[in-house]
Amino acid sequence: MKKKYNVVIIGGGFSGLVAADILSNRGLSILFVDENNYLGGQLLRKIPERLGKYLKYKPDSIKKYGYNLAKKVFDSDIEIALNSRVIGIYKDKELLVEVEEKKVFNVKAEVILFATGARERFLPFKGWTLPGVYSTGMAQIMMKSSGVLPGRNVLISGSGMFLFAVGYELIKNGAKLHGIYENSGFVDKVKLISQFIPQFSKFAEGGRYLFKIYSSLVPIRYRRRVIEARGDKGVEEVVVAKLNKEGYPISGSEKVYKVDSLLTGFGFVANIELPQLAGCETEFDKKKGGWIIKVKDNLETSISDIYAAGEITGIAGSLKSINEGKIAANSILKRFKLIENNDYENNLKKLINERKKHLKFGEYFNTLYSIGKGDILSIDDNTVICRCEDVKLKDIKESVKNGYTTPGGLKISVRAGMGNCQARTCGPVIYDIINVLTNKGYKDIGTFSVRPPIKPICMNSLKNFED
Amino acid sequence: MNDLRIKGIKRQEEVKIKVNGQEVIAYESETVLSVLIANGFKVFRKSAVENEYRGGFCGMGVCYDCLVTINGVPQLRSCMYYVKEGMEIETDEEKV
Repeated sequence: MKKKYNVVIIGGGFSGLVAADILSNRGLSILFVDENNYLGGQLLRKIPERLGKYLKYKPDSIKKYGYNLAKKVFDSDIEIALNSRVIGIYKDKELLVEVEEKKVFNVKAEVILFATGARERFLPFKGWTLPGVYSTGMAQIMMKSSGVLPGRNVLISGSGMFLFAVGYELIKNGAKLHGIYENSGFVDKVKLISQFIPQFSKFAEGGRYLFKIYSSLVPIRYRRRVIEARGDKGVEEVVVAKLNKEGYPISGSEKVYKVDSLLTGFGFVANIELPQLAGCETEFDKKKGGWIIKVKDNLETSISDIYAAGEITGIAGSLKSINEGKIAANSILKRFKLIENNDYENNLKKLINERKKHLKFGEYFNTLYSIGKGDILSIDDNTVICRCEDVKLKDIKESVKNGYTTPGGLKISVRAGMGNCQARTCGPVIYDIINVLTNKGYKDIGTFSVRPPIKPICMNSLKNFED
Repeated sequence: MNDLRIKGIKRQEEVKIKVNGQEVIAYESETVLSVLIANGFKVFRKSAVENEYRGGFCGMGVCYDCLVTINGVPQLRSCMYYVKEGMEIETDEEKV
């Protein structure tokens, strides 16, 4: 690893890849960092060739484009650091990069592009910490990259289009799927469509999943969710309840299903921690998926020479990420005077118009599948909210009553968000909980604070520090 | 044992690993998390405060629930590591 780079790109998902491709082979020294052992992020998971062939895996045109891009970037002049994480960012764009949990490098960047993507959002329920309760993302990754089922008897409860993608995969691969329970109402879906401009290609993809699920007679039910998972050393049964319009379970409507695995997920939230650490301004917008990084039209953040692209500027899926990868790359080319002004203006004008459409599409889904007040208020008091520190809802409620109405306050009083994951899992729910209990706005509530190391690291890595 | 591997798939190269001292067959490109779940190891450890059973959860390196010991190094995320010939994995079901 070198001491200085023109550009450091953090995050090897779609937006990072697109930007890297455009910036490559132009004489810029570029470091491209990703935590995984492949390029492509969550959407372009590495599928071993042999597995892909036997799974009859046919990537759609967007994914095909992505896989080719990853290959191209791999063969370019860009230095790629896989299994690597940026764990700290300091003044003047100095970065600490940890490689393979073994070594730490000090690197200086002239320009940083954050493309740190998104993670899943959850709505806690009693028993969601039991082994066998998995995120929908984990199930999808296991099936697609390792060819392993999460369980034999599976049930899905949560919100969003992704539930159907995972359901489709489960049925195709021979699991018994006992139903998909969608938290939001079907009627809301129809009502909202008129407000936003739909993107038909995405709906066609959804239709393919739905057809497979309907034709295998798996029940799909709206305005229902799992309110409890039970079992001793792992999930054995789950309780599904009907919900009223406000999201409260209707008593007497509960049904029990025997399963060995329950999958849950409520959409996505942006990974804003690293840009936050760099001092980039954030904003809260429910329509964009909650807390996101504030950017200008050219995707520069509040700090000059730091750019953000992809899900961290608003949750809206792969097409927006591709679009923003292009915008960010063009802006960076201009920064290094590697593009004619006219070309830049023309490119950007087109891309910015396109971006507006993608944002609109994201807004439709983020509004439709948002977690409401009733959803939060109906969580059982004994439910663990912070999984790392085993903090229950009743502890948080008590603390809020005693005046700890900020994430930082809850960290001090009950250790919520203090553990290994650094509030990545419980954070978004805790913001919602404070919001409904106090009526404080999200801006006043703020986020959990960030500081290096941004993720837990082995002491061994620090021993091998290269300054 | 009820193997959760999807049927009818031609796998990558076979590798032999050990889980809690017991020999387990795995295939290249499988994560430690997938191998454990495929072979019926659902419980990986106990939680820090309440001593509750825990296993994998997010599957993408965010939640730190799937921590195991790999080749003697404790507290590694099983979802972020790929199996290799001779790898020794320890789950931590009883210890706190």
